[in-house]
Amino acid sequence: MSLHFAIAAVVSLVGALLAVTQANILHAVFGLAIALVGVAGVFFTLDSPFVAIMEVLIYVGGIAVTMIFAVMLSSVSNPKERESAGRRLLAALVAVAFFVGGALVIAHADFGPGKKLPPSAWGLEQVGRDLLGRFNLAFETLSIVLLLAIVGAIVIVRKESAMPANADEEAS
Amino acid sequence: MPQTLTQLLDGSVLAMPIAAGLIMGMLTVNVLMLVWAERKVSAWIQMRMGPTEVGPFGLLQTLADMLKLISKQLITPSNVDKPLYHLAPLLAFAPVVAAVALFPFSESTILVQNDYGLLFVFAFGGIAVIAIFMAGWGSNNKYALLGAIRSVAQNISYEVPLILSALSVVLVVNAMGPTLSSGDGVVAINGLDLSHIVMTQDQQGIWFVVLQPIAAIIYFISALAETNRAPFDIPEAESELVAGFHTEYSGMRFSLFFFAEYTNMLIVSMLAVVLFFGGWDGPVLPGPAWFFLKSYAVIFVMMWVRWTFPRLRFDQLMTFCWKVLIPLSILNLLATAFVIAVL
Repeated sequence: MSLHFAIAAVVSLVGALLAVTQANILHAVFGLAIALVGVAGVFFTLDSPFVAIMEVLIYVGGIAVTMIFAVMLSSVSNPKERESAGRRLLAALVAVAFFVGGALVIAHADFGPGKKLPPSAWGLEQVGRDLLGRFNLAFETLSIVLLLAIVGAIVIVRKESAMPANADEEAS
Repeated sequence: MPQTLTQLLDGSVLAMPIAAGLIMGMLTVNVLMLVWAERKVSAWIQMRMGPTEVGPFGLLQTLADMLKLISKQLITPSNVDKPLYHLAPLLAFAPVVAAVALFPFSESTILVQNDYGLLFVFAFGGIAVIAIFMAGWGSNNKYALLGAIRSVAQNISYEVPLILSALSVVLVVNAMGPTLSSGDGVVAINGLDLSHIVMTQDQQGIWFVVLQPIAAIIYFISALAETNRAPFDIPEAESELVAGFHTEYSGMRFSLFFFAEYTNMLIVSMLAVVLFFGGWDGPVLPGPAWFFLKSYAVIFVMMWVRWTFPRLRFDQLMTFCWKVLIPLSILNLLATAFVIAVL
């Protein structure tokens, strides 16, 4: 158990380090994917196989792949180009602020004694009921945000390709 | 008394190596036989002979090919992205081996028992997509990159109808009752557990291909696309892209991709057998025999399709997925839910 946790923790730390240190943007994304697999492993050692598998299915199989896809389809002139010093400083400040804030919240939080929930408390059925019941508003808001993102992407792509495509059709 | 192999070996330090060795041995034989079978089936369909020289009926031809590939020099082109180029074959290979371990070959022959087996199989498929990207990008070759982009676009698109059609089956399993009597006594039914899906079909005396014919057809078409098989083999269309994402790989590294591809065929076929054809359920013969007979029958149909239909164009492929298969599978899922709610 603790050995499994150690492996998962090391994998996620190494992946996270790769994600922030690699200058090559694709290497960084692959580092992020490794970190996410590690986090899934941590969930697994915490007896939450469902959350673990969703982490792999959605974050590794979905989000990381989408990020790589976006990087590949955009024309990166120099993949090793670094951000300017000012922007890097700003990013570092934001990251440190988030870390300090999060750490303060966790340090002052009273979690109470550790307790083990019965399987019915976090099972698939309960997740479904909570999503469509208690957290319905947040769930629906998220779907609207995603829908807007898709519509926005389509609008951007159409504007760029509208002219030449129409010209081709009329010519043929 | 059902006893999984892991239970049998429980407590032994050798459990993990033995299980891994068993899977690797099985998969190696599987790939050798599938490559031979593919050549024989294609020859039979095209009225040729296929391999005949090495061994009886040319059976040892692929073994000879494998030895040749192992002994070949590993060529690393000079301008590749080295870490990605070297990691990609391993990352393509590892998840498919892990996924095979999850399948219940019979009620008692299960290497890894998992409550969310179905989701695990799909998740491992998602990791393989990243490996294709690594190979295509790391090779620093325009054909490899184009092949990888096509392959990944195809894979993430066809994953949607694939999972939706499997989900209809999960709904049916869960609707068959709150409990299920298994060897361990009565247990709560769980549609995501691969062995529960089979046990439900066994006890109801009906294969889900009868209850969910549309889901079965959608699953089969999507499975062909997921494994990059003809008529959906656009990622490695030889006439346009040389060999797609593995253009720059040679020797054993190429073999690992090849191994992953043929093992993927076995995985989608085994999943089809579990979801729609009653798994290990069958008369006289022992469970694993039925399980593999059915799986290889599905693989035979996949080969038959490959040598019958011409390759689609890329836009046809994407249109077919997004405008036909996905709406159809969502409708099928809704209809299933509706019928279950009414009954």
